[in-house]
Amino acid sequence: MTTPLPDNVVQVSGLSKKFPNGPLALDHVSLTVPKGQLLSLIGLSGSGKSTLLRHLNGLIPPTTGSVEVLGTNVVAAGRRELRALRRDVGFVFQSFGLVGRLTALENVLSGALGRLHGPRYGTLMYPKTLRREALENLDRVGLGDRAFQRADTLSGGQQQRVAIARTLMQRPSLLLADEPVASLDPESSAQVMDVLFRIVVEDQLTVICTLHQVELALGWAQRIVGLRDGQVVLDRSVDDLDQDAVMDVYRRVEPGQVSVTGGLVSETTKPRVA
Amino acid sequence: MKPPEVLFKPAGLGSRIPREPSLPDDRLKRRLTSDRLIMRIVLVVFVGAVIWAWRHIEMSFGGLISGFGDVQNLLGRMLPPRFSDLDDAIRLGFETLWMAVIGTTIAVILSFPIALGAARNTTPHPAVMAVCRGIIVLSRAVPDLIFAAIFVRAIGIGVLPGVIALGLHSIGMVGKLFADAIEQTDKTPREAVTSVGASKWQAITTSVIPQAMPSFISTVLYRLDINLRSSSVLGIVGAGGIGFLMQANLRSLQYDEALGVVTVIFVLITIMEFFSAAVRATLLGGDRTLVGRSAPKFSLGSKLFFRISSKAQSTDTGVRPFDRDTIRPPWVGELRMKTIYGVAFIALVVIAFRSVSLNPGELLGAMPKVWEVTTRLFPPDFTTARDPIIDGMIESVAAALVATFMGAILSIPLGLMAARNVAFNRIVYSVSRLFLVFVRGIPELIIAVIFIAAIGLGPVPGTLALAFGTSGFLAKLIADAVEEINPTPREATFAVGATKTQEIGTSVIPQAMPAIVSNLLYALDINLRTSTILGIVGGGGIGFILFNALRVLELRTVGAVLITIFVVVYSIELLSGWVRKKIL
Repeated sequence: MTTPLPDNVVQVSGLSKKFPNGPLALDHVSLTVPKGQLLSLIGLSGSGKSTLLRHLNGLIPPTTGSVEVLGTNVVAAGRRELRALRRDVGFVFQSFGLVGRLTALENVLSGALGRLHGPRYGTLMYPKTLRREALENLDRVGLGDRAFQRADTLSGGQQQRVAIARTLMQRPSLLLADEPVASLDPESSAQVMDVLFRIVVEDQLTVICTLHQVELALGWAQRIVGLRDGQVVLDRSVDDLDQDAVMDVYRRVEPGQVSVTGGLVSETTKPRVA
Repeated sequence: MKPPEVLFKPAGLGSRIPREPSLPDDRLKRRLTSDRLIMRIVLVVFVGAVIWAWRHIEMSFGGLISGFGDVQNLLGRMLPPRFSDLDDAIRLGFETLWMAVIGTTIAVILSFPIALGAARNTTPHPAVMAVCRGIIVLSRAVPDLIFAAIFVRAIGIGVLPGVIALGLHSIGMVGKLFADAIEQTDKTPREAVTSVGASKWQAITTSVIPQAMPSFISTVLYRLDINLRSSSVLGIVGAGGIGFLMQANLRSLQYDEALGVVTVIFVLITIMEFFSAAVRATLLGGDRTLVGRSAPKFSLGSKLFFRISSKAQSTDTGVRPFDRDTIRPPWVGELRMKTIYGVAFIALVVIAFRSVSLNPGELLGAMPKVWEVTTRLFPPDFTTARDPIIDGMIESVAAALVATFMGAILSIPLGLMAARNVAFNRIVYSVSRLFLVFVRGIPELIIAVIFIAAIGLGPVPGTLALAFGTSGFLAKLIADAVEEINPTPREATFAVGATKTQEIGTSVIPQAMPAIVSNLLYALDINLRTSTILGIVGGGGIGFILFNALRVLELRTVGAVLITIFVVVYSIELLSGWVRKKIL
C-alpha cells in the first residue's frame, strides 16, 4: 500500500468466458470499480458471479476480453506477476478453504506464503514476526484464543473468520469474497459480515462480494451489480435502487417457472428481499 | 453404497415406457440390459475358467481328501513343535522385522516423489505422470520374491538384496495409494492458498500434503504389515530373514523344528498386526472419515494404546492455552503424541539399519549392480524356453483361478460368521475371528512349503495353500464389509417375520454383494501374483522356470519370464478393474 494505486482498482472490459462443453459463463462483461468502493455482485446460482471473481485474480483465464486489476493486466501476466497480484488481492471462499487438520494459526499463516520463498510445513517454519502478525489477525476476528485449535473443530462461522484472518495476512488492497456466508446459519452470517465490514472500513479496502441474500447486500454495499446468464443486467448505486430492478436480476428465462415482475411461483428461487 | 437391487420392477419405470400395454407375464420378467448381459457372460466365463483350471492342474476331490490325509500326517510328525535353536530363531525373527522396516522406509522415500508425479493434481507434466504410473504398475506386477531372487544373483546372499526387493516392489502399492490420497484431497484449500500468491510447491506442502497425511500414515503401517509377511519368506531364496531357517529345517526333515520356526513367524506377524492396528487407531482416531476402509476399529489393542497415550490424546475440542509471547504450538495433545510417534519411528529405522549392520551407503553402492543385472535381462529371450514359459504361465493362471474359487467358497460362510452383526452368537464370532487371525498369521508361501513337504511337488499343494490363505484374507474383508452394512433393511426383513437365514439371503448378502465381488477380484489379482512364485518352492507354475533360469544365469530368459508375468498379471488386473467398474 506504499505505492499510490490507480483510481480504478478493477477494470474489466468485454470479458467473455466459455468453459469446454459448457454455455457462455460470462458474456461481454464490462465493469469498473473505483478505489474504496464496496460493491456487491448479485444473481442466481450459475449466473457467472463466481466465475467473474475468479477472473480478477487470475484463477481462471478468460476466453476473450481484458482484465486489469491494481494496474496489472491479469490476462497477459506471467506466473511471477500473477503471484505478485494475488498477494495483494484477498479472496474469501464460500467453503472457507481451510485445511481442517491444521491449526487455526497455521491456516492464517499460509496467507503470508505470497511474501515468502520456499515451501513451509508446520507452524514453526514461519518466522516469529509472522506468527505474531497471524495471532494479531486472529485477534481482529475475535479468535485469538483458538490459535492452536484444529480448524475442523471450529464452527462454520469461526472457520470463515479464520479464513478472513488469512486474507488479512496478505495486507490486501482489494478483497474479493465469493458467497462468504452462503453456507452459514443467519446468526453466524451476521457475525461474519460484521467482522468483514468492520475490517473493510478500518483498512479502507475495496471490496467485491458476491451475495445470495439481497438484504445483506443492501445492508452494506454502496453499489450493486446484477448478473444474469453471464451478462450485467443491473449496475446501480444502492441509493437509487428499487425492488423491481433487483427482482429483474432473479427473473428466470425459462417460461412458466417465474413470472416477470416478481410474482414468484417457485419457493426455492424466491430471493429474500425484506 | 448402491441400494439393494429390486427383484421386481414394474415396466415403465425404466427409461423407455412401452407404447402398448404388455402382458402380465412380461412384466414379471426383468429386462436384460447390456450391463446385465455382460455380468452373466463374466460369470459364465469365470465358472468355465475355474472348471477348465480345475482339470488343468489335475485337481480332484479324491486328491483333496488324500491331500488332507497327507497334511494331517505331516502335522502329526511336526507336533509338538521343538525350539532347540530358539535363540537363533528369535535373532532371525528380529532380522526379518528390521528388513521389513528398512524395506518399507526405502519404499516410502522412493514412493513420495513418484506419487507426486503420478497424481493428476500435482504432476508437473503429463509425460511425468505416465512415467510415474508406469513405474508403479511395473513394480507392483513383479512379486518381491522374484526381485529378491534376481538381486541375490546380482549382489550375493544376505539382507541387502532382500530389503532392496521389498523396497522396489512396495513402490507399486505405496506409490499408488499415496497418489490416490493426493488426488482425493479437497481442492478448495489449495485454491485458497494459491489465491494468496503461493507458489505450486508452497501450495502442495501447506494444503495438499497435510490433507493426505492420515492416509499416508495408514498406508505405511499397512505396508509394514505386508512387508513383514514377505520378509519372513525371503530367506527361501537366500535374501535374509527367518525363512531360510524354516527351509533348512524342512530340508533336513526336522519337521518339529520347522514348526517351531513357523510358530516364531506366526507370533511375530500377529504381534505386528496388533501393534500396527493400535498405532493406526491412536494416530488416526480423529481422522477416521479421511482414511476410509483402512481405518481401524476400536479393538482391544487400540483401547490399551488409548490408555497409554490418554494424556497425549486430547479429546476436548476447546481452547488450547498457549504462550502469547513465543506463539509456539502448545506441547500438548496431538502435537506431543505425533512427535513421540515420529521420533519412535525414526529411532526404529536407525535401530533396524544398525541391527542388520547395513549402512545407507552400502544400499546406494548396490544400485549399480542392481542396474547392471537389470540391463542384462534385455533383450529378453523368448525362444530358448518358449514352451515351458507358456505352459508355466497357464499353470500359474489355473492355480490362481482354482485357489480363488476355493477360497471364496470357504470365505463367504466364514466371513458371515466373523461379522459381529450377523454371527449366530458371540462364541461363533470369537472363534471365527480367532481362526482368521491364525490363518492370516502364517504367510501363504510358508503354508505352501509345508503342503509341498506333505503332498509332494506340483501345482496341487501350491493351489491348496493359496486357497487356504485366500480364505483367511477374503473372509476378513467380507466380515469387515458385512459389519458396515445398513441395519435398517435388516430390521425391516425381520419385521415381516423372516428367519435368520432368510434375512441373510435377502438383506445381508445383497447389501454386501458389491464388496464381496470386488474383494473376490482383488483376491484373484493377488493370487495370480503369488502363484507366479509358487514354483520357486516347488508349487508349480512359471516360477519354476524363472528360478532355474536364474540358477544357470540365463538372464535373458529371466527377462522373458518377467515380461510374460507382467503382461498376464497386468491384463488380468485391467480386466478385473473393468468388471469391478461394471458392478459397482
